[in-house]
Amino acid sequence: MSSISSASGRLRPNFHRHETKLASLLLLLGIALAVAAPRFFSSVNLALLARSMGVLLIVSVGMLNVILAGGIDVSAGAILAVVSVALVRLGNHELPASVVLPLGLLSGASLGAVNAALIAELQIPPIVATLGTAGLFRGLLLEWTQGEWESSIPPWLNAIGSPRWGGLDASVLAAALVMLAAAWILHGTQIGRTLFRFGDSPLSAARTGISPRQPIYFAYISLGLLTAVGAVFYAAQLGAVQGNAANGYELTVIAAVVLGGADVLGGRGSLLGVFLGVLLLCSLQQALVLLHVAAFWQNIATGAIVLVGVILSSAPRLHRTPILQQSSST
Amino acid sequence: MTQASSATLDKFGNSTPKYAKRMMELRRSGSLQPGVVALLVLFFCGYAGYRSGDFWSALNWQLLAQPLAEAGLVSLGMMFVIASGGIDLSVGAIVGIAAVTAGIAAQHKWPVTAIEAAALAGGMLCGAFNGLLIGVLRLSSILVTLGSMILFSGVALALSNGNSFAGFPDGLLWWNDATLLGIPVEFLLFLAIAAVAAVLLRSTLWGHYVIAIGSNSVAARYSGYPVALTLFGVYTLQGLLCGMAGILLVARLASARADMGRGLMLMAIAAVVLGGAPIVGGAASVIATLVGVAAFYIVQDGLLLLDVPPFVQYALTSAMLLVAVAAGNLLRGRREDRR
Repeated sequence: MSSISSASGRLRPNFHRHETKLASLLLLLGIALAVAAPRFFSSVNLALLARSMGVLLIVSVGMLNVILAGGIDVSAGAILAVVSVALVRLGNHELPASVVLPLGLLSGASLGAVNAALIAELQIPPIVATLGTAGLFRGLLLEWTQGEWESSIPPWLNAIGSPRWGGLDASVLAAALVMLAAAWILHGTQIGRTLFRFGDSPLSAARTGISPRQPIYFAYISLGLLTAVGAVFYAAQLGAVQGNAANGYELTVIAAVVLGGADVLGGRGSLLGVFLGVLLLCSLQQALVLLHVAAFWQNIATGAIVLVGVILSSAPRLHRTPILQQSSST
Repeated sequence: MTQASSATLDKFGNSTPKYAKRMMELRRSGSLQPGVVALLVLFFCGYAGYRSGDFWSALNWQLLAQPLAEAGLVSLGMMFVIASGGIDLSVGAIVGIAAVTAGIAAQHKWPVTAIEAAALAGGMLCGAFNGLLIGVLRLSSILVTLGSMILFSGVALALSNGNSFAGFPDGLLWWNDATLLGIPVEFLLFLAIAAVAAVLLRSTLWGHYVIAIGSNSVAARYSGYPVALTLFGVYTLQGLLCGMAGILLVARLASARADMGRGLMLMAIAAVVLGGAPIVGGAASVIATLVGVAAFYIVQDGLLLLDVPPFVQYALTSAMLLVAVAAGNLLRGRREDRR
């Protein structure tokens, strides 16, 4: 999309924004639920909903960075699995949390750096590069675990995942902190602005002196780091991990970000949208469980809601944008 | 103006070396990469044959040819999709739908041709759904197929109720059992389809439209090309080929499950890219796609015979994709990344 439209979209309040439509979709879902399953709004269920959103929201913020930079990362699920298995294995070897947690975060960030290096230095298209690293990470992880379950997790990790504060756990707090930090970085720092500029048009960014390296490394390393943060809570909440953990998780993450109105071509997207996207996906899942709907209907509903989100986010483009501004990747 | 008797003159009157034009064509089409990949795979074959006596046995190649044919059909469809500037993440789910459709048809004791027709129609319908959203409504292909992948896999599960189907008639299993001159008919069917795809791509107006849309959809629209109809055709063809792959998969395994096409999506994208096609679209070659998909399966099979652990095989084939694309980039020279 042109830089003009995306800039004006942020500067003035716009009631045709994607977030507004998403919020009304949520409202509709809420009304339907109030009629069909009033139990949904019980405090116990809302706390469960918040807990189920934590990990997805943390990883989605990282994915938003990557998508803003015009990239995509399908290796996030593999990174999540690598880090969560590494955390549990190291923790079970009697290493203290103060050593294991930094190591886990570091490993996530360095796996992200591998992706960034392939994309920035070797000029491999993001989807190809992360497709390759997803297989690479997952294959090596499965060789390491030999497909076995790590069914006991260290006590400190268990403590992180256990609910307190009225059913909420640390993942909710962490997700809130991540959202605040991301809001500051994206809108208040130079690197955040660079991410938008570069994603909007790498060519014009290059002409204004922005090196492609900085935004690419920042985006993929931040996704790796946030995926590692998510992995801590993922392992803590599940209480058991194995090499095939989080298979296909990256697609859920991408679906949430896209549902939130981020443009896969880069340069457009918002944290509020990501939050609403995650909220919509998670409350839909939760509602279908509450209504005792069979598992495959959850897939159908999720797929349908993603398609509705895609159609909603593209609707203004269909009507307003002149043909010249239509992006070349149809 | 100088006299340039030996060298050819371009339209500005500058002399160009004779090989320069050919070199530029080579660089533009990226046609070095399939050659390099094929050469590396040949070296690998030599090594695998030297280390393992079974590698060059006829049985090994027969067993290798069948999964190759299924993945190859999906890759041919993916080649058209990627050439048109799109991507299709839903192929695995479409294969699942086709397999489940065949299973339901077999359960109702339909004749073999009706089972096949039902599976093909199921695949085509899914592809047409994608094509409608992407071609006619002009939505982004990666987003639409991400949503439809989740949707289709749910539909396949709902249709099958999570069960697997068995008891297929012998006529359908013929696709797995029959051979011609020692070559499995599955593979011959794949070669025939590949030939048709080459004709479609090179010699029809539709193929020309696909490449034009992939290289610049705005220009294609301004040139009055039927963009919506062409893209609709691309995704419907992909659905049809997925249906075909689903039938072959059902015949080979003699059962049908909703999650049958798992892994085919990544495989197909990787095969097309390994053949050197730019992921942004605008170029395609059937031979390169064949090289890409064959390279994957031959290397995987060779690693298996060399007693490499299965998970390491998975990691190594992924690494092969990265190395091939990086090497292709270096060979081509670091050209401007036109995203």
